[in-house]
Amino acid sequence: MLGNFAPSSVELLRFSPELVLTAAGSLLMMLDPLFGKKSPKLFGHISVAAFLLAIFASVQANAVSGRAFSNLLIVDGFATYFRILVLTIGVFAVLSSYLYLDREAADTPEYHSLLLFSVAGQCLMVAANDLIMIFLGLEISSIASYVLAGYLRNDRRNNESALKYFLLGSFATGFLLYGVSIIYGVTGTTKLDEIRTALAVPGASTAVVAVAAALMLVGLGFKVSAAPFQVWAPDVYQGAPAPVSAFMATAPKAAAFAIFLRIFVTDFGKIGSAWEPLIWISALLSMTIGNFAALTQTNIKRMLAYSSIAHAGYLLVAIAARSEIGTAAAMFYLAAYALMNIGAFAVVIHIAGKGERHLQITDLAGLGQRQPLTAALLTVFVLSLIGVPLTGGFFGKFYIFRSALESHLVWLAVLGLLNSAVAAYYYLRLLVVMYMYEPGEAADSLEPLSPGLGLALVLPAIGTFVLGILPGSVLSFATVGAALIK
Amino acid sequence: MNLLDLVIAIPALGFLVALIMPRAMENFIRLLALGFSLVAFVVSLGLVSGFQNGQAGLQFVSNWIWIANPEIRYHVGIDGLSLWLIILSTFLTPIAILLSWKYVQHRIKEFYAFLLLLEFGLVGVFAAWDLFLFYTFWEVVLVPMYFLIGIWGHERRIYATVKFFLYTMVGSVLMLAAIIFLYTQAHTFDYGEILSQLGSGRIALDHGTETLLFLAFFLAFAIKVPLFPLHTWLPDAHVEAPTAGSVMLASVMLKMGTYGLVRFCLPMFPTAAKENAPWIVILAIIGIVVGALVAMVQPNMKKLVAYSSVSHLGFVVLGIFSFTQVGLDGAVYQMLNHGISTGALFLLVGFLYERQHSLEIKDYGGVATVAPWLSILFLITTLASIGLPTLNNFVGEFLVLQGAAQANFSWAVFAAFGVILSACYMLWMYQRVFFGALAHSVKHHVTDLSPREWACAVPLVVLMVWMGMYSQTFLPVVSEANARILERTSKAGLMKMNPHIAANTGSAVGGGNVHAR
Amino acid sequence: MQNLWLIPALPFIGFLINGILGRKLSKAVVSSIAVLSVVLSFGLVVSVGLSSDWGANPIHQHYFTWIQSGGVNIGWDFMVDKLTMIMLMVVTGIGSLIHIYATGYMAHEEGYYRFFAYLNLFMFFMLNLVLGANYLLLFVGWEGVGLCSYLLIGFYFVKKSATTAGNKAFIVNRIGDFGFSLAMFLIFMTFGSLDFGKVFAAAPGKPAETLTAIALLMLLGATGKSAQIPLYVWLPDAMEGPTPVSALIHAATMVTAGVYMCSRSAAIFLKAPIAMDTVAIVGLATAVFAATIGLTQYDIKKVFAYSTVSQLGYMFLGVGVGAFSAGVWHLMTHAFFKALLFMGAGSVIHACGGEQDMRQMGGLKKYTPWTCGVLACASLAIAGVPGTSGFFSKDAILTAAYAHAPWMFWVGVVTAGMTAFYVWRAFWMTFWGEYRGGHASAAAGHGHDAHAHADNHAHADHHGHDDHAHGGQAHGGHGAHGTPHESPWSMLGPLVVLAFLSLAGGFLFNIPKFLESMFPLHEEVANEQMLMGISIAAGLIGIAVSYFLYVVSPEVPARIAGALGGIYTLVYNKYFVDELYDATIVQPLVEGSTAVLWHGLDQGVIDGAVNGAGSGSRSIGGVLKHLQSGNIRTYATWVVVGSVILLVAMGLNGGMVR
Repeated sequence: MLGNFAPSSVELLRFSPELVLTAAGSLLMMLDPLFGKKSPKLFGHISVAAFLLAIFASVQANAVSGRAFSNLLIVDGFATYFRILVLTIGVFAVLSSYLYLDREAADTPEYHSLLLFSVAGQCLMVAANDLIMIFLGLEISSIASYVLAGYLRNDRRNNESALKYFLLGSFATGFLLYGVSIIYGVTGTTKLDEIRTALAVPGASTAVVAVAAALMLVGLGFKVSAAPFQVWAPDVYQGAPAPVSAFMATAPKAAAFAIFLRIFVTDFGKIGSAWEPLIWISALLSMTIGNFAALTQTNIKRMLAYSSIAHAGYLLVAIAARSEIGTAAAMFYLAAYALMNIGAFAVVIHIAGKGERHLQITDLAGLGQRQPLTAALLTVFVLSLIGVPLTGGFFGKFYIFRSALESHLVWLAVLGLLNSAVAAYYYLRLLVVMYMYEPGEAADSLEPLSPGLGLALVLPAIGTFVLGILPGSVLSFATVGAALIK
Repeated sequence: MNLLDLVIAIPALGFLVALIMPRAMENFIRLLALGFSLVAFVVSLGLVSGFQNGQAGLQFVSNWIWIANPEIRYHVGIDGLSLWLIILSTFLTPIAILLSWKYVQHRIKEFYAFLLLLEFGLVGVFAAWDLFLFYTFWEVVLVPMYFLIGIWGHERRIYATVKFFLYTMVGSVLMLAAIIFLYTQAHTFDYGEILSQLGSGRIALDHGTETLLFLAFFLAFAIKVPLFPLHTWLPDAHVEAPTAGSVMLASVMLKMGTYGLVRFCLPMFPTAAKENAPWIVILAIIGIVVGALVAMVQPNMKKLVAYSSVSHLGFVVLGIFSFTQVGLDGAVYQMLNHGISTGALFLLVGFLYERQHSLEIKDYGGVATVAPWLSILFLITTLASIGLPTLNNFVGEFLVLQGAAQANFSWAVFAAFGVILSACYMLWMYQRVFFGALAHSVKHHVTDLSPREWACAVPLVVLMVWMGMYSQTFLPVVSEANARILERTSKAGLMKMNPHIAANTGSAVGGGNVHAR
Repeated sequence: MQNLWLIPALPFIGFLINGILGRKLSKAVVSSIAVLSVVLSFGLVVSVGLSSDWGANPIHQHYFTWIQSGGVNIGWDFMVDKLTMIMLMVVTGIGSLIHIYATGYMAHEEGYYRFFAYLNLFMFFMLNLVLGANYLLLFVGWEGVGLCSYLLIGFYFVKKSATTAGNKAFIVNRIGDFGFSLAMFLIFMTFGSLDFGKVFAAAPGKPAETLTAIALLMLLGATGKSAQIPLYVWLPDAMEGPTPVSALIHAATMVTAGVYMCSRSAAIFLKAPIAMDTVAIVGLATAVFAATIGLTQYDIKKVFAYSTVSQLGYMFLGVGVGAFSAGVWHLMTHAFFKALLFMGAGSVIHACGGEQDMRQMGGLKKYTPWTCGVLACASLAIAGVPGTSGFFSKDAILTAAYAHAPWMFWVGVVTAGMTAFYVWRAFWMTFWGEYRGGHASAAAGHGHDAHAHADNHAHADHHGHDDHAHGGQAHGGHGAHGTPHESPWSMLGPLVVLAFLSLAGGFLFNIPKFLESMFPLHEEVANEQMLMGISIAAGLIGIAVSYFLYVVSPEVPARIAGALGGIYTLVYNKYFVDELYDATIVQPLVEGSTAVLWHGLDQGVIDGAVNGAGSGSRSIGGVLKHLQSGNIRTYATWVVVGSVILLVAMGLNGGMVR
């Protein structure tokens, strides 16, 4: 009997990424008193190493894919895809933090360990096969990011951001948890696959399930900042430290979408006709509100926040498609989106300067002349955000709207594409300012690109091109993963 | 790797090489760009010599899988329709590079890199035989032009370039939607495949769907053309663009729109195309007349030429939607003519601007006294663009109007007013700029052509005469390709064909997809 | 077998050499190249003419396919038949004379090479026009000569009035060409070809309405090129060009192209009676109308310009009443005497150092006897004095007109009288009486430098188109001295030849006989002698009256003018037609385009909409931005509201899922 509870080695291997991250996180905390002040960079190095190791681990885990811990976890292609995604984001988050923490003279150890824990939570989420597990992962990830959002405790904006994120976040998770409990009430289980079978039997009271689904939708909708639960995002992203915003805009979102796909496309697939119209509306709202509100922003971080709302909208289009292609499209898009967003934020970090003085779009003025390379890289990300061919952003959009059209969501696709045309306007402003304005104070006072940020810019740029020109491998990975969650 | 691939690859390579060049080596970068573009041109001439007329379908085909799933192919090839447009692009790029030698003095590296990228995109657009690939090139073209106008343009360049980008974007996203929709029906992006499926009825589009798809493509192309009333981005873009930008924009980029109409709208959606032809033609004619009238009262040379383009492109659209062999041949020929003559106009206006830094007509006068050769070349170009026989535009306009007359005589009547007006606006401008007493500023700034400028202008003038005197060099292959397109549209019935045309329309199936596979 | 292509090719070569190298070459070389090329092609024409067979079965040569698309197949083909031969003779023959004349006349002009290059180019296009074997080639020449006329009218391009006149000529002709091109489209649609041979062969079988439409559209083209109502307005202004140009292009050759086209298309016109009548009436109306204006002008070239318009009207009358050969005959004789009149006028102007106002002349017969003599011959011819060339052709036309409709004859006769009057009026004013110039020539002595032009503009502003040629015409070297002088022999020689032709041309060339195979001769009219007598009388009366008014009692005309008052001013100002066109067509177009189309439609409506969309979406963004209060309680409310809506919706939807 007991034997069943003692995890087998293969189970541990399947769980290894989380293990690596938690271990590393705790290690950092222990090292803090020793090297905390002496060599702040060390912690960054360690966490990068940890992330890389975790990536390696998740590849290994995928080799022995299967369930773990009496079916609480499921390691499949889908899980692995997202694990690797969030872990990669983690790497870039660290890389783009070196300079920042140094500039703001912040303690590195907690920062990095929080980062590690947060990602660990996300890895858990994406590999969970149990609503409770999902909730646990979500909370681990969220609580860590709440703290990160307010990391510079003397900065008023940080505190405000953290508080809002925390209050609304917990508010939303409340909904999620409530939904979970209802599901348990109806089906008597919290295991995803069992729920599926339970709902499959005819006569299961769909109305109640739908209500539960709605509640979870609220929770997840909040996490992915989909309208009408997007309100928090601009304030939080703007307030939080730039690298944290970069992280929050990508990793938790990716994880949350993973759950979205797992739960809704599979478990709630049966009542899809019930939630599809709502997703349809939410998608349209998110795209429209995000893009139009972004048009008038002058603060880059805030603009990117709105743009991330819009991108959540595009992703919801893929979910509304309710198809394998849709799932794959969403997965692919999340990768492309993560890369271009991190890249864009990295530039923001670069130009922001101490205390994030330079956050206005106009602070980019003349970047094209002062630092052509940085400008060129940002151009890549902007073009990808606009969705110009040969970039990941374009292929992602194309793939999403294809899935929408395959599922006969013609008008949603058309509206979405028109939206992306609107979006072009505010993205172009970045290019305009960068290349067509004379250098301003910000550009002149700019120090050369630091190695860490350099990597956090160049690698995503390369990734963006790879996804745009040779998307094949990632795409097939995503497609396989999408097939597995059925 | 056949010739066509080379023609596409060389500019791309040049672009990359230019990018990695240290920006200090300005002259070397200039030479490098010129070198690449010249090589591309020479290679592209190989396409002409190797092109077999009369052989149905695509030639110089190269067809690889680019992305496995969804299957997207790098599938390129040319027929008589694309051949000359590709030559036009490769022919004008070196000129654009050469004419910017002195004009562009800052951020040289980016400038020439973008010009080469532009060439790459243009050639690709005309060669692509896979809708996804086509769309890719279509958008790629947008980026360099956006920067060319935005960085090296004049005062209101930002407004102009953003306007240009967004206008085009709105059109192209809808086209993308249509392309994806077609994919969901045909499960391929391969144009030949789609055509044959449409032809054989394996994809049956109901009437409403066909119309919507047609409109989606049409809008994207109409904006690029630009067809009245979607033209207002053009004057701004032209006035603000640097000379090279204006030349490439007017000469080649606008042709992307008209090319798209002929290549895609007609063969894929013949019924919808014919049903919508009447109002499209009316818009084209309004464009011809209004464009000319507005050009007539422009105080700014570039704006004047820009509006004249609206008028000229109206002829092209008119020819296309006349659905006659003559009209379509004329339209395609007119695309080339407009490329040469309007390109030359912008070139020469640019030369004037380099001398006196003004585009306002009132700042000139008596140029003929101080710069006789410049004036003579400008005069020849002017005459070409007002359609003087023995110069290129005449042939095109004659065929277009003849075709329009066959389709509906009143169309020709109204369109022919454009021919009268073109004389008015061009000659009035010529008089005010080149004739009359020598203006003081002109006396001090304007000199005659430099050897480099000769090198830019003469090839264009030679072509004007050549294309005007011996259209047989160019027209047969075009007719061949057009005959196939009309073959498809005629299947759609509706419009009875004039016996003379019916006699001449070729036999092969649309686009020759068979050979493409 | 002659190579016809050489005939236009030679002048073209001349054009290329002079055009490209002329700047470097000496005037002697330039002029010899120019003259030689034309004389040689004249020689070729003659040799073709002497070659046997072309009369019976026309020569037809195909060189290359020019345009080939769908059914359209246009070859670069030349052909020579009798009609072409006449035109060739006139064009190259008179062309040569005028080239020679010009070497003297332009001797002191700058841009000498440019002038001859243009002139040669003109010969090239004109020869294309008459040699072309299909309508499109005819059109090539048609537009080409228009271009050269544009270039030569605006030869003194620093003068605004000159270049404006050039534009006017080109644009007005474009309006005519509008008709011509439509005619071609219609022809192609009706006959499936533009080749003269095919078209005329098939013409009889085609419906009359179509042919009428074609013919009328062609007529529109002809009214442009041959300066008929309503498009004649450009020709008087065309006198801005150097006088040899007026002689060659605007009197002898180009302007007769319309007549040539109509006669060439006789096969079509004969099947379109309505069109024929229209041609006749347009011709007649133009003849009278222009003649009346001619009565009142003082600028010697203007007088002859209106006379040209009027005489062209005669030719159209001939064509219109079916007497094609008579029309062509008059075309030829008119080429003789009108070219002579212009070149004589040129010689006079030359003598007076650039003066063109006849009020500044007088008594020149003692200074310039030769000029006086030759002009007398020309004036006799145009007045239709028996035996002169003009007499024969004009009589032929009038007789035919009588046969067609007597009233046309009478109007024609009146016109003939007026013609005789104003030509001789000019003659008397120039050569008789006392020399009234002197001071003027000194003023004009500047040659054409900027300053002289300045005061030209001043003049131009004062009396419309009257006299703005001084500066342009004056010759740096000459003019400086006050007394008129005879012209050099390079100028007089051609005049003498033409004088001979004007007198004897009628005898020598009996065109109607020559063309009988193409255009059947007119049936004899009863009392032809009587008609002849009347027309002769009209001419003589005209001369007599002018002698009385301008030699015997020169003070009378002023009184008559005064008596007529309003009518006189109306006529003197050419019935204000230019002003009318300007007010009713040009101005409305220009202002309408500026205010309505450009500012209103293009910038206002369309661009307004575009930019409006932009600012509109930005303002939406502004609104959305304000939802973002930053207040966390409002956010919480949002979330709650959203959730409630969601719950309800889902509950309902879910209930329906089965």
